[in-house]
Formats: sequence, C-alpha cells, structure tokens
Amino acid sequence: MDNWVIALIKVVFIWTWTLLIATLMTWVERRGSAMMQDRLGPNRAGPFGLFQPLADGIKLFTKEDIIPEKAHKILFSLGPILFALPAFSAYAVIPFGDKLVVNGKEIILQVADVNVGFLYVVALGAMAVYGIVLGGWGSNNKYSILGGLRSTAQLISYEVPFGLSLLAVVLVYGTFSLREISLAQQGTFLGFLPNWGIFKQPLGFILFIVTAYAEANRVPFDLPEAESEIVAGYHTEYGSMRLGLYLFGEYVNMYTLAALMVTLYFGAWHLPYIDMSKFLGPVSYGIASFLVFFLKTAFFLWLFVWVRWTVPRFRYDQVMGLGWKALIPLALVNLFITALCIQLTV
Amino acid sequence: MAKPVVKKEYTFLERIYLWEIVKGLKLTFKHFTFNFKESLKKGPHTVPTCWQYPEDRRPIAPVFRGAHMLCLDDEGRELCVGCGMCARACPAKCITVKRGKPAEGEEGKYAGKTMSTEFTIDMLRCIFCGFCEEACPKGAIQLGQEYELAEYTMDACIYDKERLLANFQKAKAEGKLKPPKKPVPVAEGDKKAAAKKAAQKPAGKEATKSKKATSKPQAEEKKASESKGEET
Ligand code: SF4
Ligand code: SF4
Repeated sequence: MDNWVIALIKVVFIWTWTLLIATLMTWVERRGSAMMQDRLGPNRAGPFGLFQPLADGIKLFTKEDIIPEKAHKILFSLGPILFALPAFSAYAVIPFGDKLVVNGKEIILQVADVNVGFLYVVALGAMAVYGIVLGGWGSNNKYSILGGLRSTAQLISYEVPFGLSLLAVVLVYGTFSLREISLAQQGTFLGFLPNWGIFKQPLGFILFIVTAYAEANRVPFDLPEAESEIVAGYHTEYGSMRLGLYLFGEYVNMYTLAALMVTLYFGAWHLPYIDMSKFLGPVSYGIASFLVFFLKTAFFLWLFVWVRWTVPRFRYDQVMGLGWKALIPLALVNLFITALCIQLTV
Repeated sequence: MAKPVVKKEYTFLERIYLWEIVKGLKLTFKHFTFNFKESLKKGPHTVPTCWQYPEDRRPIAPVFRGAHMLCLDDEGRELCVGCGMCARACPAKCITVKRGKPAEGEEGKYAGKTMSTEFTIDMLRCIFCGFCEEACPKGAIQLGQEYELAEYTMDACIYDKERLLANFQKAKAEGKLKPPKKPVPVAEGDKKAAAKKAAQKPAGKEATKSKKATSKPQAEEKKASESKGEET
C-alpha cells in the first residue's frame, strides 16, 4: 500500500514538475532570445512577464478548434496526442535525485528504476516522430506533408548515431539502468577527474548532444517545422490546444533529453570531488541531490535555447550528409575504441 | 561593379562546425549579458536599443509635422485672416475655410481685418505634407508635435477651429511651439528685388488675391466632402 502511495506521489510530482519547467521554458526561450537579439521580450504580464505562459495557455485553450475540411479527421486529432504522450511519459525512468530517507524508509528519487530504462527512453523518443508524421500526413497540406517527410528522413539519419553513442555508454557502465549508471559516476577517475561520463566518453558526448538536438527538433535541426521554408511544417494546419500540445511536447522533450545528458555524461546528482551524502542529513541530502541534478539540467535546457538563437538551420541535404557521412562513422569508431579499451582494461 | 565571389577553402576547424558554433555562442552570450545587465536598471527605458513606447518616447524634432494648430500672436489675437491659401495649397483638399468679418466689438480678437468664420481640417484625409503651413502668408497654421491622433469615430477626426486653437494653447503651455523660421538666404542680385517686394506689401493687395483663391477651392471642398458623405 505504502509503495503505491509513494509511487503515485512521485508520478504526480514529476508530472507537475516537468509541466512547470516546460511552461517556464517557453518564457525563458522568449526572454532569452530577446536579450540575445537586443530586444526585451514579453515583459507585461506579471513581474518580468512571468505570467506570459499562463496567458498563452488560456489563449490556446479558448481558441476555436478547427479541423480542416479535407483533413483526415482521425489522424489529424491523433497527431498531437501521439507526439505529446511519449514526451510526457519518457521521464518516468530518468532519475531526478538520489534518494530520500523518511522514517527509515528509503525513497528512490526516480519514478521507475526499470532495468532497460535506457531502451525505454530511446524507444519513446523515436515514437514521437509518429506524431509529427501522422499530423503532417493527416493535415492534407503540402507544407505539412513536407514537414512530416523531413522528420522521417531526419529520423533515420540521426537515430542510428544516437543509438550508437548511447551503446558506448552502456559498454562503459555495463548496465541499462539509468540509476545504476548515475550511481557509478561517483568519485574520481584517473585520480584527478570526476568520474563523469563526459571524461570517459568525450566523443560520445559530442555525438549525443548533436543527435539530441535533432531528436528534439531544435535548431540547427528543426527541419520539420522550418518556418522560413515550409511555413510551419507539420503543424501548419493546427490551432488551439492541438498546436499547444505540439509546442509543449517539444519543451517536455527538451527537458527529458537534458536530464538524460546529465544522467549519462555529467554525473547525475554528484558534485565533483565532494560527496554530499557524507555530511548532509538523509532528508537534506535528498533535496540537495535533487537541486544539483536540476541545476545541471537547467544548464542544458539553457544550452538548447542558446544554440537555437545562435546558429542557422542546416540545409536538408546537409543534415543527411552530416548524419550518414560524419556522425555514423564517428559513432562506430567511438564504439570500437570504447570496446577495445574495456577489453584491454578488464 | 559586382564583386567576384572568391570561394575559400574551409579549414578543418570550420568544417567540423563545432568550433565555429562555440564562437557564435560567445557572441550571443556577450549580447545576452550586456542586455541582461542593462535591463536590471530602473526605469522604463532599459535595453538601449529598445523603446517601450507608451512609457518611453523618442525625442521629436522641432520641425516634426503632427497635428495642426491655429496660432495666436503674442497679444492673443488670431493670426488667420481666412484667406484660404492653405485650402488651395492642400493636395488632399482637406481644409475648409470661410472668410468673414469679425463681429461688432470683437475686432480686438483678430490680428487681421478679416477672420475665418469656419475652419475645419479633415484629419482622415490629411497626409501631413505641411504645404498648408508653407502657403499661409500669416504663419497662422502650423503643424505641431502631437502624433497620437486615433479617435473612436470618424466625426471626431474632423478638427474644427476650437480644437485647432486649443491645440495651439496646449503646445504653447508645453513649450512645444516651433522655433521662428530662419530667413531664407537670398543671392546678391536678388536682394534688391526682394527688398522692393517687401516694401510694397500692403495688406489690401493680398486680401483681393485671396478672395479669388478662396472661392474655388471652397466649392471643390464642399463637393469633396459631400461625395465622401455618400461613400460612408
Ligand atoms: S498637411 Fe498637407 S494634407 Fe494636411 S492639411 Fe496641410 S496641406 Fe493639407
Ligand atoms: S492660409 Fe493662413 S491665413 Fe489664410 S486661411 Fe489658411 S491659415 Fe488662415
């Protein structure tokens, strides 16, 4: 019984937390981009314009829900749901802290410590593309279908290096469980470096971050929605909360990917050289680990925004070239070297 | 002449993108930190490149052409003599002037012997070219610095004489009157002729001239406003 209640609390907590962060990210994105472009951004609703996402949400909810006459009704309504659902459920297996000890009961700060958590995240990430393709197909609009097609073509060129770079991490830690990977990153490595994934997999991290941007459909790989080329891509025909789900799903995806980066490559909740559990009480340690984890994630979220407003979009064929001619060979080399090192050291 | 495009070989660092992206990130970060620091300052005008309009207003040049006003002279007398030169000059045909004589005992209110009994400007048609200001022999009509001229009804956009005079009072109170015009420099040879012209400039001559001027544009103006009425 107790376990059920705890699990429920964790689910509700992480759900609301992700939604809150995604909401906040829309604000950060707009104000941050404004600051980079010497503008001000939304600053009227509430202090510093912080209530702007709220106003946008209300607006999206109260707008008329239009389904184009010639659109495929079922696919059209299925698209956003298929996109947002994997995005919302992917966080379930990613930790958001170490553990909290309350009344002698140990609560792991992770909704589900699945032993194939890794595959779950990758599978759900690939699922989200269905939402884009079906939405684009169902809209019966040339720009939408182009966006959907681009999304599929992009998927096959980045999903392979994405998987290969993750495989190298699995080789290093010898487990698929994200919690075990996080736990293994404590202490130091070679005597002076923090025992983080990035120092063991520098090339793997670069490959991962590049493909993660493609996975999240963010600039420089935002080909499916490329405003300047194909209007708005797959969501051209969408309005009201259906559009909201697409936009929101994107931010939730970003959050999941940022958390994944922290878990795999940046030592999850560990601080370099300092072991927090040694001098913090059980409850405060849980909270501190959560905060450390979140701050690291926040940096990568910010990096998503930062990169978006810095670099231009890749051309369609350039993405293909980058994926097939650079990322996949590099990922294979990385995998090979990792395997070799492990074989030699073990 | 078109510049020949020289295609440059990219170096290895440029071809792997990453270093160039880092350079770009550095640039955007510089802008971000600068604007972030500026935006923490007090006051509405924070980010230097950004004017937040209703709170921040850009300074306006003294020669800005905004809403019209009918000027009074230093003794508070109306300068307009109702000659209709402005109506004639107006390319949008939006000024209506009727000339009349001041009523008994009210001569002190007007600078000239005649005055305008009616003076309206249709601001919906005005293009703010400033020709009326240039045409006026008395410097009576001027374009001020007001530029927030939106109204809820079309009728409210047709300014009558009271409103134009009030505009002047307001501008005077706010110290937004135009600086006196600088004399136009005259070339050596023309100077004599100019002086001669200035000497024989009796008011009567002008009045006769303007009589002819007013009658026609007024008729036209009436027609124009009537046809406009039908349209709306
Ligand atoms: S500014 Fe130009 S258009 Fe407007 S009233 Fe004067 S002459 Fe006419
Ligand atoms: S030209 Fe000047 S004096 Fe003549 S009617 Fe117009 S404003 Fe009055």
